[in-house]
Amino acid sequence: MADNLTLNINHVSKSFARIEKDDITNALADVDLHFHSKEFVSLVGTSGCGKSTILRLIAGLITPTSGSLDISGTPITKPGPDRGMVFQKPTLFPWLTVKKNVEFSLKMQNRLNGNEELVDRMLRLIHLEAFKDDYPGQLSGGMAQRVALVRSLISNPEILLMDEPLGALDAFTRMAMQDEILDIWQKSRQLVVMVTHDIDEAIYMGTKVVIMDANPGRIRAEIPIELTYPRNRSSSLFVEYRNQILEMMELGVKE
Amino acid sequence: MNTSEKNVTLNTNNSSQVPGSHLTRDALFELEQKEKTTAQKALDWFISLCPLLCCGIALMEYILIPDKYANKNPERYAVLLLIPAAVYLIFWIRAFLLYRKGKRQYFRDIRHRAPLYSVIYLLLTALDSLTLKTGLLLYPFIPWVNDIINAAILDWPMLLKSTVFTLRLLFLGYFGGVLAGLITGVACGYSRRIRYWIDPVIKVLGPIPTATWIPLIMLLATSLLAGSVFIVGLGTWFAVTVATMTGISNVDQSFYEAAKTLGTSERQLIFRIAIPYAMPSILQGMTQGMSSACISLMIAEMVGVEAGLGWYITWAKAWAAYNKMFAAIVVICIVFNFVTRVLDLVKGRILRWQIGVVK
Ligand SMILES: Nc1ncnc2c1ncn2[C@@H]1O[C@H](COP(=O)(O)OP(=O)(O)OP(=O)(O)O)[C@@H](O)[C@H]1O
Ligand SMILES: [Mg+2]
Repeated sequence: MADNLTLNINHVSKSFARIEKDDITNALADVDLHFHSKEFVSLVGTSGCGKSTILRLIAGLITPTSGSLDISGTPITKPGPDRGMVFQKPTLFPWLTVKKNVEFSLKMQNRLNGNEELVDRMLRLIHLEAFKDDYPGQLSGGMAQRVALVRSLISNPEILLMDEPLGALDAFTRMAMQDEILDIWQKSRQLVVMVTHDIDEAIYMGTKVVIMDANPGRIRAEIPIELTYPRNRSSSLFVEYRNQILEMMELGVKE
Repeated sequence: MNTSEKNVTLNTNNSSQVPGSHLTRDALFELEQKEKTTAQKALDWFISLCPLLCCGIALMEYILIPDKYANKNPERYAVLLLIPAAVYLIFWIRAFLLYRKGKRQYFRDIRHRAPLYSVIYLLLTALDSLTLKTGLLLYPFIPWVNDIINAAILDWPMLLKSTVFTLRLLFLGYFGGVLAGLITGVACGYSRRIRYWIDPVIKVLGPIPTATWIPLIMLLATSLLAGSVFIVGLGTWFAVTVATMTGISNVDQSFYEAAKTLGTSERQLIFRIAIPYAMPSILQGMTQGMSSACISLMIAEMVGVEAGLGWYITWAKAWAAYNKMFAAIVVICIVFNFVTRVLDLVKGRILRWQIGVVK
């Protein structure tokens, strides 16, 4: 595993064709970002500003209209298990049991043999061993999202992309999962890019918070969070960061 | 501190005293049912015994009323009447014993089936009195049951041979059709270019009933078996192709995307995502294909193929052996029912994951 990779998003713009009118949506305009391994990037911005679009570009699910993306010089052309993605909705495969969903990625790469212990460990991590033989239709929204998380984690991707992974969880589980994810990240030291609506979450988890503007989607600011883990949500520095970010986002809305 | 301790004790008290917390499902059902009066209960018991009573009526009618026509081996029909009744009696006794132990669902089950079984016995009685006893019902075209049994027993090697032939043709044609349908269906559902060429073929040929092709195929086919397998499979192929195509072209794009980020190859996308997703639709097409295969099979056997149960029926009719004809019809009924039942079982097993999924 490349320990020191750099993810380069070089002046990327992305437009989508509209279905109804003969028109296009400019989702992203000249986004230029460079991230490294061991970073935890929180991506915040108003709804529709292109956060999911950035993740999908990194994942290789869509190609940029102009500009380019590469990982340490290797261009991103198609999706791959080196870039795990947790989607905004869980997208578990309903015809597979929880366990089969979790081991899906290993199975697709013929790496299942010898890794049974890993599968069990992942299930234990999200406290769902008891549900391993159930089908996703029988899970609650939060449980499903947890399964989706470990399903992407299991092949140990170099870059983990998460699109509001904790959006469906209640406040208490959400905080517990934040710590779980941080724990995983601190052990594996991969690059994490996480989209969130929750500014507290962004500051609590990220080494860097990226704030976006809408119409078209642009980068407003990149704010490094220089706090040590585990962070205290009520510390004065934390509150300062929160005020700073809120202020910037409000500016963005006014413009 | 004090209040929270109090709360804890209160809670434990509550949970141990929830009414009905250790009810069984059966007891819950009883609890929620209206209490039945003694008269209603007596009526339930009487109805549960009705099949035996009606079996008695059928037997008495058969034995006591003099026959209008010669009836060989008369005991066979009596045995046929008695066997289901004996089985029913065994289940009834079991339900009775369990009822006394408080398990009432077995009795409810028996009580639920009793009226249907009784009516079947009464219908058999009516059939017997209209045929064997009086000849009122289109004699000789509709034989009495004992006559059908005699015919079946007398001609069993031929019947068995025909059944085996029919089953072989059905399975060859059906599975051939399913396989071909899966291949074209997946190809069309997955690749827009293939669909462009296959779609018009389906649109033009689809609405034409399979049987239309029988004369032509009988002329062209190099062997009779190949021709008939083709005819049986054609309708199945069509049904499965359309169902698979629809199922696969409806696959939720987000499943493909999720799978791609998990490292699936193009081939795996088809077998691990597209086909499982389309499975409910495919199985529906397979059920439809089965009924289509059965229809074409019978027509094919009656028209061109000189073997099988369909042929047996036309052959028996040509010799005015109506009892043999009915024997074959009964066998067909049993065979097709069995096949459909097996298909339903397979379907239920494969689609287990759908249970409880809200869509
Ligand atoms: N496949 C698509 N086709 C057309 N337009 C799209 C497509 N995907 C995204 N868009 C448009 O691009 C813009 C950005 O969408 P995106 O999903 O990235 O927003 P987002 O920041 O993730 O929003 P949210 O926080 O609500 O999820 C929106 O205006 C959306 O309408
Ligand atoms: Mg989004």
